[in-house]
Amino acid sequence: MRMLLVEDNEELAETILHRMRSEGHSVDHEPDGNSANELLRHARFDIVLLDINLPGKSGFELLRSLRARGDLTPVMILTARSQIDDRVTGLDAGADDYMVKPVDFRELTARCRVLARRSAGSASNLFEAGNLVFDRAAKRALIDGRDAEMRAREIQLLEILVDNLGRMLTKEEVADKLYTFEEAPSMNAVEQLVARLRRKLEPTQLVVRTARGLGYMAYVSEDD
Amino acid sequence: MLGGSLQRRLLATMAAAFVVLLVVISVLLWNYARAAAERTYDLLLAGAALSILERVSIGPDGPTADLPTSAMDILGLAPDERVVYAVFAQGGEHVTGRRDLPLPDKLSALATSGAEQRFFTGQVDGTDFRFVLQGRALLSSTGREWIFVQVGQTLGARQAQERALFLTGLLGLAAVSLLGLGFVWLAIRSSLAPLHQIEADLRRRAPGDLSEIDGTPPQEIRGLWTAINLFIGRLRQSRTLTETFIADVAHQTRTSLSALVGHVTLAADAEDFETMRNRVERAERQAQRTVRLTNQLLANAMVIHRTDHASLDIIRLLPIVRETLADILRDVSMRSVTLTFNGDDLPEGADRIRGDAVSIREALRNLIDNAVRHGPEANNILVELSQREETIVLSVEDAGPGIPWRDRLKATERFTSLSRKNGGSGLGLSIVRAVAEGHQARLSLGQSSLGGLSVSVAFPRLLAVLLAALIPGFWAAPAARADTLEIWSATDTPAFAPILADYEAKHPTVDVVYTEYHTVELHQAILAAAPGTGPDLVISSAMDLQVDLVNRGLALRIDMPEALRPPGWAEWRSELFGFTFEPAAIVYSRAILSTKELPTSHRDLATFVRDNEDRLLGRIGGYDIRGSGIGYLYATQDAEQGLQAQRLTEVLGRAGLKTFCCTSDMVEGAADGELALAFNVIGSYALASARADPRIGIHFLDDFNLVMTRTAFVPKDAKDPDLAEAFLKFLLSPETQELIGAETPLIPIDSAYFPEALAGPSRNYLPIRLGPGLLTYLDPLKRRDFLKGWEASLDR
Repeated sequence: MRMLLVEDNEELAETILHRMRSEGHSVDHEPDGNSANELLRHARFDIVLLDINLPGKSGFELLRSLRARGDLTPVMILTARSQIDDRVTGLDAGADDYMVKPVDFRELTARCRVLARRSAGSASNLFEAGNLVFDRAAKRALIDGRDAEMRAREIQLLEILVDNLGRMLTKEEVADKLYTFEEAPSMNAVEQLVARLRRKLEPTQLVVRTARGLGYMAYVSEDD
Repeated sequence: MLGGSLQRRLLATMAAAFVVLLVVISVLLWNYARAAAERTYDLLLAGAALSILERVSIGPDGPTADLPTSAMDILGLAPDERVVYAVFAQGGEHVTGRRDLPLPDKLSALATSGAEQRFFTGQVDGTDFRFVLQGRALLSSTGREWIFVQVGQTLGARQAQERALFLTGLLGLAAVSLLGLGFVWLAIRSSLAPLHQIEADLRRRAPGDLSEIDGTPPQEIRGLWTAINLFIGRLRQSRTLTETFIADVAHQTRTSLSALVGHVTLAADAEDFETMRNRVERAERQAQRTVRLTNQLLANAMVIHRTDHASLDIIRLLPIVRETLADILRDVSMRSVTLTFNGDDLPEGADRIRGDAVSIREALRNLIDNAVRHGPEANNILVELSQREETIVLSVEDAGPGIPWRDRLKATERFTSLSRKNGGSGLGLSIVRAVAEGHQARLSLGQSSLGGLSVSVAFPRLLAVLLAALIPGFWAAPAARADTLEIWSATDTPAFAPILADYEAKHPTVDVVYTEYHTVELHQAILAAAPGTGPDLVISSAMDLQVDLVNRGLALRIDMPEALRPPGWAEWRSELFGFTFEPAAIVYSRAILSTKELPTSHRDLATFVRDNEDRLLGRIGGYDIRGSGIGYLYATQDAEQGLQAQRLTEVLGRAGLKTFCCTSDMVEGAADGELALAFNVIGSYALASARADPRIGIHFLDDFNLVMTRTAFVPKDAKDPDLAEAFLKFLLSPETQELIGAETPLIPIDSAYFPEALAGPSRNYLPIRLGPGLLTYLDPLKRRDFLKGWEASLDR
């Protein structure tokens, strides 16, 4: 993966750079908001790791101008602020995820992988996770090279889960995306559909997790 | 603590004392005002009674009375009062007036002192009246006989007088009281000076100065003085505690950092790789603990700061809890934990509380963090949001080991970590406690059904939500309905139709039911109507009969805006309103009489008729006043103007006066040449006919022309009084007045819209005034005598 780290603290930047590079990613570093903004105008990255308190442009400003340009590069905010308010969690400014410093490197790399997968999945028609290959265009899922023989609704659900990898979706949100207004789905039908899909995905690394009362979240187990 | 100011409180006490004083004086003042007003108006009653008594006599048929106009005129000095009277003989034998008036208790005593005036209060048809009763002894064939006159009047004017007298007196007293309060205020200010001294002392202090206030206070505020000094002492103590906390924090972080540095140093000095690796691993664990400690110290400080300073907003707990949990679950470290949320049973809107979202998120994060940290690898956490009677409870339960009950109290204190090996900082639950305290919520620790600890925070629910649940459908709108306005009227329907058409066009939802009557019929119908079956509005041209109805207390008071009020003569008691201007006129045949020879005054009219008797014989028209209310009204009012009326009637009798029921017949007679002239016809109708018919002319006299007005009132038992009131205002509005002038044969009361025939050289109009004076000729004896005289003059 090609990453951009925007961080003004040299010590912290160095450790993150070392960690990410040791995992085989190519990482650029910018200590300044303005220069990072310039760089982002010309170069493409798979992920941007963004500090908030920066010299020059602040992290929020940088993010806003990025989104204003229509650039959808996944952004992970690294904040050291004491209170996590809606500007960060609500992702109002357009961030895809956030973490509070000091960050745990294992957690950071895992979250980055999820972000990258999510954005790669929606950018191309092919989503791959270990032995699972999901072809959106052909509406087909292969496990170990064999057709998983999924029904239309299951394919639809799989697509929704993959688009929201690592994100909690409520049952109502799933139903809304799955059914048209006239179909008036029962929440029971959604539950049964999720259970069926989970069974079919058992041999793969794509896990569909249920948190009762909250919703569903899909993740790839090898990313952890 | 009681708010406000001492000064105000003292003033309030003094003011209360003044009020008590004022009340006592008011009672005395009220009695005085009452007596004074009573006396004034009793004199009116006595005067009226005397003037009637003077006209009481013994005739061939026994006692009789000729009601004098002056009696009603005296009572009319209180212009808005309703009037009743009765004349009866000693044995209770009724002479005239009402039969149902209340009498004083000891009627038997009347015989001994009949000539004495007796005042008393009684009720007629449910309304209070003040009465006078006085008798007079007359000599009759059977001997001396006592005749009694009883006159009564409603209490409005005397009550108004009472109030006026009372209020004037009270105003003076109030002024004196205010002055007194002013002095009290000055006295209070000077006694409160020592308090200002304390204030000045506290203001001057440097922020760090927590020493006690010096000086000797006056005896009354010594307690306060001591209390302030005690408080300063406590503040000093609290500052010491804060300093201890900072020292504690410093100690905790430094210790933690020292351990970390120690491990790192040892790692750097290590001889072999295995020892170094071991040291580094321990250093990493120590670093994790330090990070967590720092985070929680910051969170603790932030939460305490926010609960001190942040204002609480109205927030919904459900989305906050859901989002926070979804956020936490993204952590890779949460993969092995089963987290269940139970909050869907809450009714819509029940999760509203007054709170701070940031603090609540922080508390929930700490609760989950605690549950994960103290629980087993495959932990089971249940988060629940549920509703109690007055609270909404957020609870977190886990499958960990829990806390033994004897340690639970200690668990929420700062830096109390009950277990060393889990790396707890001892701050998690104390953060939750701070959040709960900041929200006036109750924090409780208990045993979870999952095996571990159960922590619940009970937030108070919003009162507004509770109230809304109690009053369902409070704002339900009343159903729309069609309105009906019922009018009973003594006015030709064609004459009134344009007004109704205009009203219905402007108020399409109102259905007007218009019933036409003759004046006397209408009067009887209103008196006979059973409650609830009468009309919403009564309109009639017979002013005296309308006054009689209103005098019986049947009309509703209307709050008429000043701009719409008719002139004073055309309104009585704010209950009866005139809306037309209808002068009596002479209509004549242009074929028989020329304009030049017409008489110019009532006196001339008699002379004119006598001089032209041969030409006019049998060709003069007039109302049959026995059957026509208007005719009787015009005739009696003419009689009031002087003796020439009597003479005129006699002359007309000799000239063979033809009598008619209605103005229209007389106008027709004049047009056909059957009549040479008709007098006292309703000018408005006659003018309208004359405009269309060149054969007739209209003539007004120079000395005086009686004017009557068509009146309307809203009965007390109207089914829709508001609608009727609105219609009455509509009748008097400039737009409708203009319409009456332009499109009906009537003449509006508003002189701005008079027709040209009236607008000419100023005529001598004599409006008939609405009021008790009109009741004189409704007296049955008086009416009988008047009609008898009229018939005799006409030789009928």
